[in-house]
Amino acid sequence: MAVAALRRLALRGPVPVHAAIGTDALAAVDDLSLDPRISVQQSPRHAAILLVAGPLRDEDRSDLCRLHDQLPHPRATVFWRTDPAIQIADPPVVSVEDDAAATIASVYRSLIEEGRPSEPDLQPDTPPNPWRGKGDHGQGGEGMMGGTPYGRPMAMTGDDLRDGLQLDPYTAEFGPFLPVFPPGLKLRITLQGDVIQFAKVLRPPLPQEEQSGPSAALRRIARQLRLLGLTGQAARALRLASVGDGKAAGVRRLRRLVKWSGSGQAIPPGLGRVGGADVRDRLAAWWEVASGETAEARAPDRTLVDLLPGLEWSEAMLVLNSFDIATLTGMCPIEKREDKAHSEEEKDAPEPHDHDGHQDQMRGAA
Amino acid sequence: MTALAGATIAGTAAALVALAVFLIGRKAAHVPTTDPQKVPLLGGGAPETHAWQRYHVRYYSMTLLFIAFEMEMMFMYPWAVVFVKEGAKAMVEMGMFLAILSIGILYGWREGIFKWQ
Amino acid sequence: MQAVAILSVLLLLLFGAWLAAILDRAGNALVAGDRVRTAAVRPLHDLAAHLSRQTTTTEAPDRLNWRLAPVAYLALAALGLSVVPLAPGVVAADFDAGIVLWGACEALTVVVVFLHGWSANSEFPLIGGYRYVAIGLPVMLISMFVLIAAALPAESLSVAAIVESQREIWNVVRQPIGLPLFLLLGLSLTLRGPFDYADSDDLIGGTRAEASGAQLAAWQFARLAMLASVSVMASAVFLGGYLGPVLPGALWLILKSGVVLAVLIAAGHLLARMPPSRMMTFIWTVLLPLSFLDLVLVGAELLIWG
Repeated sequence: MAVAALRRLALRGPVPVHAAIGTDALAAVDDLSLDPRISVQQSPRHAAILLVAGPLRDEDRSDLCRLHDQLPHPRATVFWRTDPAIQIADPPVVSVEDDAAATIASVYRSLIEEGRPSEPDLQPDTPPNPWRGKGDHGQGGEGMMGGTPYGRPMAMTGDDLRDGLQLDPYTAEFGPFLPVFPPGLKLRITLQGDVIQFAKVLRPPLPQEEQSGPSAALRRIARQLRLLGLTGQAARALRLASVGDGKAAGVRRLRRLVKWSGSGQAIPPGLGRVGGADVRDRLAAWWEVASGETAEARAPDRTLVDLLPGLEWSEAMLVLNSFDIATLTGMCPIEKREDKAHSEEEKDAPEPHDHDGHQDQMRGAA
Repeated sequence: MTALAGATIAGTAAALVALAVFLIGRKAAHVPTTDPQKVPLLGGGAPETHAWQRYHVRYYSMTLLFIAFEMEMMFMYPWAVVFVKEGAKAMVEMGMFLAILSIGILYGWREGIFKWQ
Repeated sequence: MQAVAILSVLLLLLFGAWLAAILDRAGNALVAGDRVRTAAVRPLHDLAAHLSRQTTTTEAPDRLNWRLAPVAYLALAALGLSVVPLAPGVVAADFDAGIVLWGACEALTVVVVFLHGWSANSEFPLIGGYRYVAIGLPVMLISMFVLIAAALPAESLSVAAIVESQREIWNVVRQPIGLPLFLLLGLSLTLRGPFDYADSDDLIGGTRAEASGAQLAAWQFARLAMLASVSVMASAVFLGGYLGPVLPGALWLILKSGVVLAVLIAAGHLLARMPPSRMMTFIWTVLLPLSFLDLVLVGAELLIWG
């Protein structure tokens, strides 16, 4: 009774959507985010609908399954402008070509009103590694160390880039659906605290249409503004990007608003310098393009993997989103094939040390 | 009622409101979390280890300076109450104290403790 | 009288959070150049949507601390607000050292936000929690300096005495840089705009990234309630609280708090966020010396004009 009232109330708000973006779909999702019926969420935990927009690579499919399973119930998936990459027996997967917002709204309605069952997990309900049984607390190993508590090992120590302290590096694969990354980019990153120690490109970004012109520049500016905490200004930039002509006055007003936010000072000078231009320069060049002028393109002389190490996370995200996707793809050479790369990674990554304090012996042995 | 009782009741009542939110949520949508749902968010990627680690706190040297200022607060509370009575003497005392601590800030700045080490 | 005050504290938090949510949406729409649709029930829709979704956990989280973080956050908002007189003689907790209790609430808020980030055992919330501490600690110092400067003319640490000391001249006139510095604390305590180092978009939501369902609802509600609490505190200490002609005192306090709330929300939407190391340097080398200056100016003023 009360629960039904709660659901009815929930239906009157916008649909919380998390977007997994594929090829040629970034601009479309940006436009969709302006629809009042939709509220695009950065975290899948805050969403009820997973929107898969645009075709994905075959190898992204397992990551999509992982992302899908992270959404809280009740949940549903909508495929937009692509064939369904996942198969579920019940309920049937929804696929749509044109009006995504209307479809999302109707799926959400049937989901909340319980006409449509919540989608089950796509992965088996088992921990990532076997762990139960051994050890005092069932952590899966003997003594203090070893084992995989709750199916995951603990971090081991390693040297830090900045001050050489030996603390725990955290290594993980980030992406390909991380909203702060360009769509499709998958990196293997080692962090110490919040500073990137080591990065390796596993998959380059997916190509996106509309790479030049004022609208594309405004969309890129919007991504930067969101990183600076200026979500309203970012939405305004996207709105300007979605209209055709006659946006010069709007761009001027937006630029003044952004200037007053202190964003010029918020980006550290000299950050992410590539081909003689830093993040500030690249942002300024986008503003030029957005106001209808032309800016000279500079060829990148560094790759992403030697640009990122040593950067703190928020700085790294500013750098990562300061390139257009074509340029960034040029900075992400993948020499080895994906399957080969997996065995090579261990050699490239900084050597992890053992937990028990015999680091010197370990190094001597290596 | 004493002030302490008033504060305690206000704080406890607010905590109960927050607990009520959890209770309503449990009533409305209680579904146990499965193992694949529990995987930490990495935009589709998977972690190799637990996130809990000996985290490299980059600002650790700043916290030492912070403690110096926190101790200064101890002195400041009683000082604020007697300031008008004591007049110029209190002013000079606090001025000296702040000056010494400011030198600490300058020294820390020179040593780069406000940077992410 | 005290019972009325306690009830009022809770109502202020509840309706303050509601108003804050409405203003927040309106502010965002205004900045975005969108049509401002200020449906007063819209915050309830969001709350209902959160509550009708599953509350997920992560792999081996510190479940107790995770669930407790929003509870403690809201309790701290109420505890901090309880020292503020809502009308002459109406105060939930009339401490002689109300400022000290408020300062303790500030410090514990830093702990609560850290716990919320830490306990999920996930990288993005963890980074958010740790880096928030770097900013939350020094901002707390700034706020304590300006609060002490407000306590000087009152010769007391009681918030009631501080309000009474503003009968002739409001503290915002006596120390014009005090109020903006205190508002920075408000932004930091509620993880907003330029001080949102815990829950920001570059960490896909930071400490709340892993929160869903009731956990998210409670956390967002606590943040908004804390915003209301800071607004009331700011208007009591700097804008004369319940003092004002014609209208009843409580109404004055609510009006002034509403204005402060709107200013805080506007600042959150209009100002850009720097990388944390840049902000830390800015706080220690510019803002903290400014708060020293504020204290010295009030001291000198009292010595000269007494």
